[in-house]
Amino acid sequence: MPRISRVMTPPHLASRRPSGLRRLVRPALIAGALAVLVAWSADQCKVSLAELAQGAVRGVEVLGFFFPPDWSAMSELLGPALITVLLAAVATPLGVALSLLFGLAAARNLAPAWLRTPARMLIGLERALPEIIILLLLVAALGVGPFPGVIALAIGSIGMLGKLLADAIEEIDARVLESVETVGATRWQVIRHAVIPEVLPSFLANAIFRFEVNIRASVLLGAVGAGGIGFELSKAMSLLEYERAMMAVLVTLALVFGAERISDALRRRVLDGGKLQ
Amino acid sequence: MSTAAVATSASSLPYTPPSRLFRRRMGIFAALALFLAVAGAALKFEPWLLITDFHYLVRLAGEMLPPRIELLWTKPSLYSSVAETIAMAVLGTLAGASIAFGLALFAAGNTTPHPFVRTFVRFGFGAERATPNFVVLLVLLIAVGFGPFAGVLALTIGSIGMFGKLFADAIEQVDPAPIEAINTVGATRWQVIRYAILPQVLPSVVANGFYAFDVNLRAAIALGVYGGGGLGFELQLAMKVLRYQDVLALILLIVVLVTLMERVSDFLRRRILGSTAAL
Repeated sequence: MPRISRVMTPPHLASRRPSGLRRLVRPALIAGALAVLVAWSADQCKVSLAELAQGAVRGVEVLGFFFPPDWSAMSELLGPALITVLLAAVATPLGVALSLLFGLAAARNLAPAWLRTPARMLIGLERALPEIIILLLLVAALGVGPFPGVIALAIGSIGMLGKLLADAIEEIDARVLESVETVGATRWQVIRHAVIPEVLPSFLANAIFRFEVNIRASVLLGAVGAGGIGFELSKAMSLLEYERAMMAVLVTLALVFGAERISDALRRRVLDGGKLQ
Repeated sequence: MSTAAVATSASSLPYTPPSRLFRRRMGIFAALALFLAVAGAALKFEPWLLITDFHYLVRLAGEMLPPRIELLWTKPSLYSSVAETIAMAVLGTLAGASIAFGLALFAAGNTTPHPFVRTFVRFGFGAERATPNFVVLLVLLIAVGFGPFAGVLALTIGSIGMFGKLFADAIEQVDPAPIEAINTVGATRWQVIRYAILPQVLPSVVANGFYAFDVNLRAAIALGVYGGGGLGFELQLAMKVLRYQDVLALILLIVVLVTLMERVSDFLRRRILGSTAAL
């Protein structure tokens, strides 16, 4: 009898209904594990509620220093803001080109093992490293300036775009590639006529999204020496010119908001266009 | 045989001028190239530096090799830095997710008390997402001082914008049928949330939580560089005193840590969501 009822339950419902005991034990286990994790983490980070309460009071006080923003600094900050945008704008196409190479080299259905393994490893390595570390290394070698900033951002794009591209290529229906191969296409022709058209819309959409990410990152990198609005911001902070810093924050907000809007609109166009073709 | 057929048909095609699509694409490429040239000039971005200054990169690589792996056993404080970094990411993610979920209920069209509240909270999420994490950290460093606690708070605040938007979108996309069903039997607003909405969004909350943990782990390292404690701070210290062999060892440690934690969070996510639904 129970056997029959199990057969009668649709499989997707059966898997959702564990037996009574399990239904109680599992959430309890998860909650317990979470509690232990939180307690350990709080201990590691020396979290203290007293300090939080104190910090909140001081934080409000500190925030007071930032107001009103120094509107007169706005005109001085527009130049650095443009530099931040240009850094991202130059770095993104470079990063896209690099990711294209890495993505093609890392796809299982295109690249031989001797090429694929190191390419995947480099992509993984890059993904694991925050851009800031790459920039610190480049600054240590090449000095401060826009050059290391652009290179750091371009390299920083490889991890995300390269991986997404390689994964997208691997998901291409094998029959599409085979049909081009059977008529005698070379590997390059397969890439040009079967792979690129399949992955182009999503790759472009990702690249546009990466531009948005790069704008944020270029603000961040600016603070450690790539120049631009991030540099102005951290300079104002260390000179204790908080009202000027607030202005820099507002300019940054406007930049990032604008970039998000533009990138959203462009992405939608690219993806819709891809569907129509 | 089929190859030959294709070849003949291709050669017998009459000449066609470049299609509009092709010309448009070439136009886009040309515009992009022109823009790159102008922007590069405006930035004083000099690509040839990569060749002329290449020996500096080689020299740095030389100074970094071999990595001082001994650090792993000669410097036990490294392990507390690793623990600190992981703990920062864990706390930042959990605290950020909890706060964001509460706010998301106000930001989702179907649970918000008033459309105006929805717009307001959503605007707050947007503003937070637009604020770089390190700006938040800079303010917090003044408020609570250097160290991992400031890092945790920065990550918490930094997670709210992203989580809040994702959660609110997930809540807005729930199937309204269960909500109506338990509304008709007289459920309170809280009961609707608990029994009709939460079960539907839980998988996406969990999946996003694990994703955010991966993001926050990297952010925890990056914030450390600005004074947030943990591995990033160690790395920045080693860099300041030009101990590049230590730097490389730390970088390797970071790569191993991030990769490992990604595997762990992937595994756990699959364990937890596997029984709920294939997301």
